[in-house]
Amino acid sequence: MQLISAQNISYSINEKKLFHNLSFNVNTGEGLYIKGSNGSGKSTLLRIILGITLPSKGKIHFCNEDLAISYLGHKNAIKSYLSPIQNLELIFNQSGRALAFEWLHKLGLKNVQDELTGNLSFGQQKKLALIRVLASSPKMIVLDEPFVGLDYATNNLLNNFLEEKLREDMSIIFTSHIQPTFECKTLEIER
Amino acid sequence: MLRLIRTESFKLSRKLKSWLGPQLILVLVLIAFPLSIDISQYDLDKFYFSIIVISLMMTAFISTEGMFEEDFEDGSLEQEFLLEQDFYKIVLSKMLIYVFFIGIPIALIGSLFLITNGADFDDLPKVFSILCLSNILLFNLFSFGNALSIDKGAMLGVLTSLPLALPVIILLGRAVRTIQYGEGFFSIIILMSGISLIVLAIMPIVISAALKTHID
Repeated sequence: MQLISAQNISYSINEKKLFHNLSFNVNTGEGLYIKGSNGSGKSTLLRIILGITLPSKGKIHFCNEDLAISYLGHKNAIKSYLSPIQNLELIFNQSGRALAFEWLHKLGLKNVQDELTGNLSFGQQKKLALIRVLASSPKMIVLDEPFVGLDYATNNLLNNFLEEKLREDMSIIFTSHIQPTFECKTLEIER
Repeated sequence: MLRLIRTESFKLSRKLKSWLGPQLILVLVLIAFPLSIDISQYDLDKFYFSIIVISLMMTAFISTEGMFEEDFEDGSLEQEFLLEQDFYKIVLSKMLIYVFFIGIPIALIGSLFLITNGADFDDLPKVFSILCLSNILLFNLFSFGNALSIDKGAMLGVLTSLPLALPVIILLGRAVRTIQYGEGFFSIIILMSGISLIVLAIMPIVISAALKTHID
């Protein structure tokens, strides 16, 4: 089933074209890997897909208006003055919390769960931000550079998790400079 | 809406500096002022109210500085924008929590200081209620300024919104006179309540529109 259909998406900043006439579809259980050089507009394209930024031209059509989407951008949306547990408690209801805490354990953050998030390393904070996205059980995940700052083991774990989610009919759109190990469609943005 | 109020109250309660700081500043100013002049020459109860009003305005000004900035900087506002269809609810819940955690305590501090400096104790509820209402107005005005310039440092926008606070000060001045002369208080409190309700209904929509343009 088709979830998103993008037609002739173009985006310019101050008359300077970032990308031109991009068209793609995302179906249920499909991954879309957006790749391109720095400054090619990968993150902007994600923000256009999410409806945060409006395209200069073209249209994005959502087949289901109530599609549940989780997004992880460049900013982690994590409160440095709270502990990882408190950060997760802010977001999840009772049922989601159990899954989030399970992820906390899986990603090796159990031993720092009560420390201030601001004292954690960049990689640990990134893991916490990933838990927020992964444990919310959406129909679609949108990730901007999810592999940056992660160690080798966590990279593998994330690759395996995303592959598993694709098999469970979740759709994933992500940008990365690191080639994913699972199979997915690739959209290359050229400047 | 309840989820947002719970989240915002939890976040603000953990930021001691944000809610306790303005209250301490107000207390320091209100203590320091009578110490800095020869109070025997003046009827302190007559003009101390003006000092409270100005101090309250400056405290509201400081309090709202970080209202949206932190959420904007760490990406939380962007996340809420995606999650919540009615973005103004986020602004409204923040506003209510800030008024509850900071606005009401500083109104109470101001009222108590006025009483200790010679005002009639019977006027305490009247003073407290007009200070609470003026705080609702001031918090809304300053957070509007904050939202306008959130990507350039919130203080700049708050400064530009400072002139908007002048009508509130004039209204407060009128309210003070009604308390001092003992007549017309109820008409002014009804007027201030009406304005506060209108501002609380409209301002979150205006502020959320301003924030959306920065998130985009």
